Amino acid sequence: MGSLMDYMEAYALLNKYGIKALRASYVSSASEAIKFSNGKKIVMKLISDKALHKSKSGLVKLNLSSESEIASAYNALAKLGENLKPYKILVQEQVSNGTEIIVGGNTDVQFGKLILLGLGGIYVEVFKDVSIRVCPITEYDASEMINTLKSKQIMLQDPRNEKIVKGLLLKVSELLTKNPEVQELDLNPIILHDGTYDAVDLRLMKG
Amino acid sequence: MAGKYYNLDNMLKPKSVAIIGASQSPEKVGHIIMQNYLNVGYSGEIYPVNVSSTGTILGKKSYKSVLDVKKPIDLAVIAIPAKFVADALEECGKAKVKSVIIVSSGFSEVGDSELQEKLVSIAKKYSLPVLGPNCLGVMDLRSRVDTMFLPTFKIDKPSIGGVSFASQSGAVGSTVLDLISHENFGLSKFISYGNAAVIDEADILNYLGHDPDTKVIIFYIEGVKRGKEFIEVAREVTKLKPVIIIKGGITPAGSSAAHSHTASLAGSYQAYEAVFEQFGFIQAKSLDEMLYYAKIFEAQPLTTKKRVAVITNGGGVGVLAADSLYLNGLEMATLSKESEKILRKAMPPIVNMSMPMDMAGDADDKRFGTAIDVFSKDPNVDALMIISLFQTPGADSRVASTIIKYGTESEKPIVVVSPGGNYAEVHNNMMESSGVPVYPSPEDASKALAALIKYSEYRERHSKSG
Repeated sequence: MGSLMDYMEAYALLNKYGIKALRASYVSSASEAIKFSNGKKIVMKLISDKALHKSKSGLVKLNLSSESEIASAYNALAKLGENLKPYKILVQEQVSNGTEIIVGGNTDVQFGKLILLGLGGIYVEVFKDVSIRVCPITEYDASEMINTLKSKQIMLQDPRNEKIVKGLLLKVSELLTKNPEVQELDLNPIILHDGTYDAVDLRLMKG
Repeated sequence: MAGKYYNLDNMLKPKSVAIIGASQSPEKVGHIIMQNYLNVGYSGEIYPVNVSSTGTILGKKSYKSVLDVKKPIDLAVIAIPAKFVADALEECGKAKVKSVIIVSSGFSEVGDSELQEKLVSIAKKYSLPVLGPNCLGVMDLRSRVDTMFLPTFKIDKPSIGGVSFASQSGAVGSTVLDLISHENFGLSKFISYGNAAVIDEADILNYLGHDPDTKVIIFYIEGVKRGKEFIEVAREVTKLKPVIIIKGGITPAGSSAAHSHTASLAGSYQAYEAVFEQFGFIQAKSLDEMLYYAKIFEAQPLTTKKRVAVITNGGGVGVLAADSLYLNGLEMATLSKESEKILRKAMPPIVNMSMPMDMAGDADDKRFGTAIDVFSKDPNVDALMIISLFQTPGADSRVASTIIKYGTESEKPIVVVSPGGNYAEVHNNMMESSGVPVYPSPEDASKALAALIKYSEYRERHSKSG
C-alpha cells in the first residue's frame, strides 16, 4: 500500500517536468495565511492522510480574501484537524473559472504505467468518459486521447486548450515513466482558462 | 527478436512425435490424440509411449519411456494424469526432445501452482519449449499435425487458409474451430495454450507474427503473462499483419486498494483496452465479431478511405445499410457523372441514380454485374457493400457467380449482405469459399468494413513513421 506524497514535494516534482501547479504553501498560523494572500483570493485546505476526499468533508475553504475571512477559515480548519492528526494546512491561490479536466496515472500489474484523461465533474464521475493509454505515449496517442472523448467539444470550447492538454499529457507521461515510484497520480482538477492552465489539486501516491 | 521468444516450429511442423499416454483403450485421451494423428494423414514418425505397454499401440511399436525411443523426437505430447507429468517432462529433457505439449490438466487452473512451477523449472533446465498444461495443443493443417483430443467426427475442421488462431481456452478454441469451417474461411494454425506456464501470449504472437503461412491472427486471451513483452511483440507484429483479439473475463473497474479517481477508472480491463487501441490490435467484443472480422481481413484488400457504395435488390435493407454505415463512422459514396451515365443506360427507369442504389426486386446477374463493375472503377468509391437478397425473383446462382467474379478481382474491398435460410445459405457458402465475405446484416458488414479501415489507417500511420 502506498503513501500520499507530501503536497509541496509533489508540487516540486511536477514543476521539474514543466507541469504548472498553483502557487501554494503550508501555513502554521492565520497570519502566515494572510501574508500569503497579500490581498488576493485564496483557497485553504486541510491536508491529512485520514481525509482523502476533501471537498466532500468540508475541508476546503474557498474565496478567502479579507483578513477576517482568512483568520476564521484557519481557525475552523485547525479545529477540524484536531480529529485528523497529523495534519497540515495549505493555502493556494484561487483560480479563475474555466474548464475542469482530470489527468491521472495508475500502475497496472501487467502493462505498467497508465495515463488517463477526462473532463471533470459528472463526465468522469457519472459517464466514465475517459481515455487511457500505456506510458510512454506519443504525440499521436495524446491527440487520440482527446479525440476519443465524448466530451471533447466541451474540453476544446477554447481551441487553445487542445495544445495545452496535449502538452500536459506528454509531460505527465514522462513524469510517470521516469518516476516508477509514483504508483498513482491524480491532477484533479486541472483548470483550463484564458489560454493557460492550473493544476489545482495534486495527489501522488508513492509505492 | 530471436532468442527472447520461443520458436514453435518443432511443435507445429514436427518430423517425429512421441505420444506419452498413448493407449489401446478408445476412451483414453492418449488414444484419441494418436488416432487423430493417423486420421489426418501425418507423414512423420509416431512413437507411442506408455509405461504399462507391451508390444504395439494402434499398430505402432510402443515404448515404456521416451528415453527408450533413441531417435530424434521433435515433439512429445503428454496426456497422462497430472501427478506423473513432471517425471515424463524430465525424461523428455533427458531424451533431448525438442518441444513438448502438455495436454493434461490439474495444475494452476485448479489451484496447484506448486506442481506447475515444477514443470516450469524443468522446462528452464532443458531450455524446452513447453505448451500448456491444460490445453488442447496445436493443429497445423499444412503439416497435418493435430494434437487435439476431440474426436474428428464431432468437429468440422476448416479448410487450409491464412488465418491462425490462438486461444487460452480450449473450449473457446474448439467451438471457434467448428464455427470457422461454418464461416468458410481457411485456417493455417491453431494453438491452444492453456495455462501458459512456459510458452505464453508473447511467444505465440511473435511466432505467428513471423509465420509466412499466417496472414491474419485471431487471439482469445483471458490475460497475458508478460505485459511488457506482449506490447513489445505487438508493436512489431501489428505492423505486419492484422491481429484480431478478444479478451474474456472483464475485471470490474476499481478496487478497495484504489486511492484515487484514476485508480478506480483505469483498472485492469481498461488497461487491456488501452493496449489493444494503442498498439494496433483489432478488438472484437464477441466471438461472432471476431469471426466476422477475420473473414474480411483474410480475403479483402486494405483501404484507408471510407466512401462506400451500396447496391441492393431490396429498398429497406438498403436504408438500414445507410444507417449502419453512418453509425460506424463510414460514408456513403456519391456517384461520379461518368458512372451515372453508364448506369442510367443499363438500369430500368425505376432505378434511381442515388445511394443506396436500389436495383429493384427483379435485379438479375446482369444488373448486379454492371453496377459492381461501374463502382469498382469509380474514383469516388472506396469500398462496396452488395446486398443480395436471394428471396427476390431475380437473384439466383448467376448473381452469386457474378459477385464472386468481382469480389475476388476488385482492388477495393467488397462485402456482401445476405440474410436468409437454406437457399441463401447455399449461395453464401459459394461466395465465402471463394473469398467474398458474407454477413447476415448490414450492421455486421459495416462493423467489419470499419474495422478494416481503422486497421488500414494504423498501418499507414506506421509505414510513414517507420
